[in-house]
Amino acid sequence: MKKIYFIIIAIFVFFYIITEVRKRKFSVKESFWWVMASIVMLLLAIFPYSIDKLAGFFNVDYGPSLLFVFCIVFLTFINFKNSKKIAEQQEKIIELAQNIAIIKEQQNEKK
Amino acid sequence: MKKEKVLFVIPAYNEEENIESVLKEIKKDAPFGDILVINDCSKDKTEEVVKKNKVKCINQIFNMRYAMNVQTGIKYAYQSNYDYVIQFDADGQHIAKEAVKLLEEMKKTNADIIIGSRYLKDMGYPCPLMRRIGTKIFEIIIKFFCKKKIADPLSGFQCLNKKVIERYSKMGNYPEFPDANLVIEMLLLGYKIEEIPVKMRLRENGESMHGGIIKPIKYMINMFYSIVFVLIQTPMIKKGK
Repeated sequence: MKKIYFIIIAIFVFFYIITEVRKRKFSVKESFWWVMASIVMLLLAIFPYSIDKLAGFFNVDYGPSLLFVFCIVFLTFINFKNSKKIAEQQEKIIELAQNIAIIKEQQNEKK
Repeated sequence: MKKEKVLFVIPAYNEEENIESVLKEIKKDAPFGDILVINDCSKDKTEEVVKKNKVKCINQIFNMRYAMNVQTGIKYAYQSNYDYVIQFDADGQHIAKEAVKLLEEMKKTNADIIIGSRYLKDMGYPCPLMRRIGTKIFEIIIKFFCKKKIADPLSGFQCLNKKVIERYSKMGNYPEFPDANLVIEMLLLGYKIEEIPVKMRLRENGESMHGGIIKPIKYMINMFYSIVFVLIQTPMIKKGK
């Protein structure tokens, strides 16, 4: 029964992301990693023991610990990607604002 | 012969009390130069005072802080084809007659950047001990990595030639504090930087951007971090990567 709950949650997440992209509230490029994450969630919900097998492969005694590690790595990756993007956009905003301010003054001089 | 164009770049934030005397002094003692004030969204009457004095004024769309204002001025100079930029403070610290000396020295030495130094000779500038120590540390770092003595790398009183104007105006990630880090970068890239002793005044009114206790500490940490990056990055820029 528990398995069905998790499958429903994973499918809900998957369709939520797809809908947001279709509504153009989220870009196709940015949605990639979240769609991947929802697919992994779905697979883990369908085959819950696969995480134990994977844990055995990595010599980890407790399966859910490995799941936590994967989640932390994934979220850190996404966070770093976002920080990088914010810095890039900040740079572009400053560049745009500087140019607008200069153009305004140049227009004033021409008047 | 083509007349050389000189632009005084003056970043200003809430400087209504100081800016008028600064503008009048430049007009009187350095009449050859154009003046450009970059008003960083001042909350006071800085813009009105500048306009009243019939000086060019770029009004920033949002508050950008000192370095980005300097870069805006340099970008304007680049787009308007100026030959020299003199960075000048709006708080009344810098003296227009000394700016003339910077320009003369630049023409004489053919340097790319001339820094107006408070500490090269004792010019009677009263400097707080902590700032003096900080400056000395950066002087030692520059000497170690660039084999060049720059006694006042934190001085914002600088004259830049066309080559530097172009480089600064096209520079992405222009540093938040363009001081010792930028001096090191430019020296490592092979630009010629010279220093001359200049007189400076203490600021007359308002608050310094390095005032208090926390700000100087943050500044030092920021500057060391920035210098480390410059040392890693510059050899790559040189190789054209």
